[in-house]
Amino acid sequence: MKEMKQRAITLTINDEIQKMIIPPNRTLLEVLRDDLHLTGTKESCGEGVCGSCTVLVDGQPTRSCLTLAVAMEGRKITTIEGIAQGDKLHPVQEAFVNYHGIQCGFCSPGMILTAYALLEENPSPTEEEIRRAISGNVCRCTGYAKAVEAIKSLTEERR
Amino acid sequence: MEQFTYIGKDMKRVDTASKATGEALFAADLTFPRMLVGKVLRSPHPHARILAIDTTKAEKLPGVKAVVTAKDTCGDRWGVFKYTQDQQFLPTEKVRYVGEEVAAVAAVDEDTALEALSLIEVQYDILPAVFTIEEALAPGAPQLHEFYENNINIHVKIDVGEVEKGFSESYLIREDIFQAPEDAYFQGEPYAVAAQFDHAGNLEIWMPNAGPHLKAKPLSNVLKIPLNKVRVRKITIGGAFGGRSEIAPADVICAFLARKAKRPVKIVYTREENTVCTRQAHSMVTKIKTGVDREGRVKARDIVCHMDGGAYSSTGPIAVSVPFLCMEQAYRMDNVRYNGYRVLTNKPIRGMFRTHGRAFACGVDIQLDMLGAELGIDPLTMRLRNARQTGDYTPTKSYVASCGMTECIQKTGERAGWKEKFGKLPPYHGIGIGCNSVQTGFPMGIRGGSQAFIKLNEDGGVTVITGVVDNGQGNDHMIVQIAAEELGLTPDDVQLINADTEVTPSDPGSYSMCETFIGGNAVRLAAQDVKKKLFKIAAEFFGVREDQLVAKKRKILVLNDPEKSMSIAKAVRIALSRNESISGEGSYWPNVDSKREWVKNPFGQLSETFSFGAVIVEVRVDPETGQVEVLEAWAAQDVGYALNPKVIEGQFEGGLTMGGQGGMLSEFLQWHEGRVLNPTQLGYLVPLAIDMPKIHNIIVETIDPNGPYGAKEAGMSVAMSAAQAYSGAISNAIGVYLKEFPLTPDVILKAIEEKEHK
Repeated sequence: MKEMKQRAITLTINDEIQKMIIPPNRTLLEVLRDDLHLTGTKESCGEGVCGSCTVLVDGQPTRSCLTLAVAMEGRKITTIEGIAQGDKLHPVQEAFVNYHGIQCGFCSPGMILTAYALLEENPSPTEEEIRRAISGNVCRCTGYAKAVEAIKSLTEERR
Repeated sequence: MEQFTYIGKDMKRVDTASKATGEALFAADLTFPRMLVGKVLRSPHPHARILAIDTTKAEKLPGVKAVVTAKDTCGDRWGVFKYTQDQQFLPTEKVRYVGEEVAAVAAVDEDTALEALSLIEVQYDILPAVFTIEEALAPGAPQLHEFYENNINIHVKIDVGEVEKGFSESYLIREDIFQAPEDAYFQGEPYAVAAQFDHAGNLEIWMPNAGPHLKAKPLSNVLKIPLNKVRVRKITIGGAFGGRSEIAPADVICAFLARKAKRPVKIVYTREENTVCTRQAHSMVTKIKTGVDREGRVKARDIVCHMDGGAYSSTGPIAVSVPFLCMEQAYRMDNVRYNGYRVLTNKPIRGMFRTHGRAFACGVDIQLDMLGAELGIDPLTMRLRNARQTGDYTPTKSYVASCGMTECIQKTGERAGWKEKFGKLPPYHGIGIGCNSVQTGFPMGIRGGSQAFIKLNEDGGVTVITGVVDNGQGNDHMIVQIAAEELGLTPDDVQLINADTEVTPSDPGSYSMCETFIGGNAVRLAAQDVKKKLFKIAAEFFGVREDQLVAKKRKILVLNDPEKSMSIAKAVRIALSRNESISGEGSYWPNVDSKREWVKNPFGQLSETFSFGAVIVEVRVDPETGQVEVLEAWAAQDVGYALNPKVIEGQFEGGLTMGGQGGMLSEFLQWHEGRVLNPTQLGYLVPLAIDMPKIHNIIVETIDPNGPYGAKEAGMSVAMSAAQAYSGAISNAIGVYLKEFPLTPDVILKAIEEKEHK
């Protein structure tokens, strides 16, 4: 197989600077999981539909399986490993645990990051807005009810 | 009822914080030094003889460390039962479906592994194939195996009471055919397996599984190494839904690659591989004839069901039986005949699915609606009149020790406002009900029981050791909760070692809804064993009887004498200093009839107890588009006793989503000559958050006499009732009884058009 020309890139992931040399066809998901061992980001469908590989790029939920890592130069990337404060879960993580929004947990990192971004942008989403926001995160276990309740518990009216 | 500290309370699960932070490791997340990437070469043909496999070029490719084909195996045939041993993990003679494993490679990276696959040359002699039940059963049809005549893999025949007499005494008889194509498990986690051997030849292997011991035994058989060298390790599992129970070719192939390469190997399936090459759910054609009296009580029923099983047996005898057995549990039917056939076709292998048999369950339930309509009796009343009751025997002779079927029907009806709604809703607005019942562990031979150990530490904390596995439903928490309750400890005091075949004793696995009833009981008994030893020491110390003691808040307390108490840690230290054993053991073997056999003798106690459920949904159908809007849903189940109500609600909601919203509205596999056309997430439509209605959960408790704290299982009867409620509601909305599922917009539009033309 022909060797692809490698590119040097600098990524900011969870506030840490990562300097790497990678082939230009390497996805952000591959860099996160295989190179940096940030395995909280999951691959489920591999075609940008299920939302399991969601990370935040400059705060926006982004499918890392469809994102080339070389395009992430200068962008701020947040993965599920990057939102807790030490041992203290981020309130969104805590709500998902407390409200049973997690069963098998495979879709949870992606859904939690989507919820995190939603609440940053809109602190008081309606149930409809919550459901729309996480409709890009497929969950096969929960039927979504408890995940929606978890996010609702964090809206401004409920706090 | 006894006052519990944890049991019956809403508790957050012990395992979910690590899932929220991304720390929980799934099989695909594992890495080991020198680990290789494994990839599988698959058959492009639905049916072909393998003439030759040339791996020379692949082996010479730099970076390739091992290539395996059938030559590296002993050609063993796997089967869940002795009489179904028909699947080789790498076939020696024939491939029987598109996607079947033919060879595999392990290489330093994925690109090299994929290139190596492209260098393997396989010569095939393409054979004629069969893709449908009709084709497979046609005279002169190509045969998949030598030993299944006419491609009939399994025939289960049950004939109870006097069926013909029952029909002759019936006031009204109907015969209808119900059918549905295959559905997919679509677990969030695509299948993945990692394997390595140590210097002493011990295999360590990680994969999503519904029972580590169910995986270890066939691995031991195939690798020709004793069971104590097969270490199926605990790993976080991204959903099973019935689809992770058997040994998978990938497990065996990964182990062979690791042994040959002498390096760790990991195989991670793509979404397509997970859909096509693990297990699928059966397609089904069910002919049901039912006779009822004037009041709608079933006098006789005759069912013939054909299931498309794909290329191999898998759990065939169980799969053929379970849809019938669930319904014979849910409803009284004294005179009943069942002929179930599992037919082999050149399609991927079908297994047991969480909502196995939608065409069957909908058939039985929707036909009750149809008969009721002719009699002027509403669907809810039809179900109440036929509901199973406590103290009954099922037709195949299972005693029903506790049954909340009637309560489930009544409560869902009341909460949903059935009386006010049925027959009174505006046009294209409908309401429907479905019911079902499931087992809590059926006869599973030597692995039918569960054993557990509890080790006490000198600080009073414990380690629980059990084979119980968690597929995502919360079994880990259930075990910790029971141990903490029994021993008066907090969940933090309980460490769990589970689902690891090196350490944990035998357990049936998370299969047939048995983990709470069987695994939970074993842990409870182990904790009681420990408690007895602790109480003996404390009783001596305080000069009281053991039955005057309780364990609470890490202490042993003397009842009615609050002055007298001893920390559990102190009791442990006394035991240690006296050289007394302080560990506990528990084992639970369910009261099932061991002589019962799926095909040869389908009679006797199937399961020690059964859960029962009812679901009602209300829908609005758009007559212009055929789109269904589900307005609200009500789900009830007799769970015995709710150990952790929020966990149970989560199971109800998930089961209703999979069985009803997905199973009845959108989920099915499409085919072209044995190829799945929609194996990906884009093609296979699973429900999204925006699709789901408000779900009202109704937990019914009957306190089973033998379940742990009266518990049975946590939501499968809801999952198995949802499809019927959805189809019933849609039929009610459009005024046509539909018999071909799922009810996609085109099916609904066609039915509306046909009705208007009449």
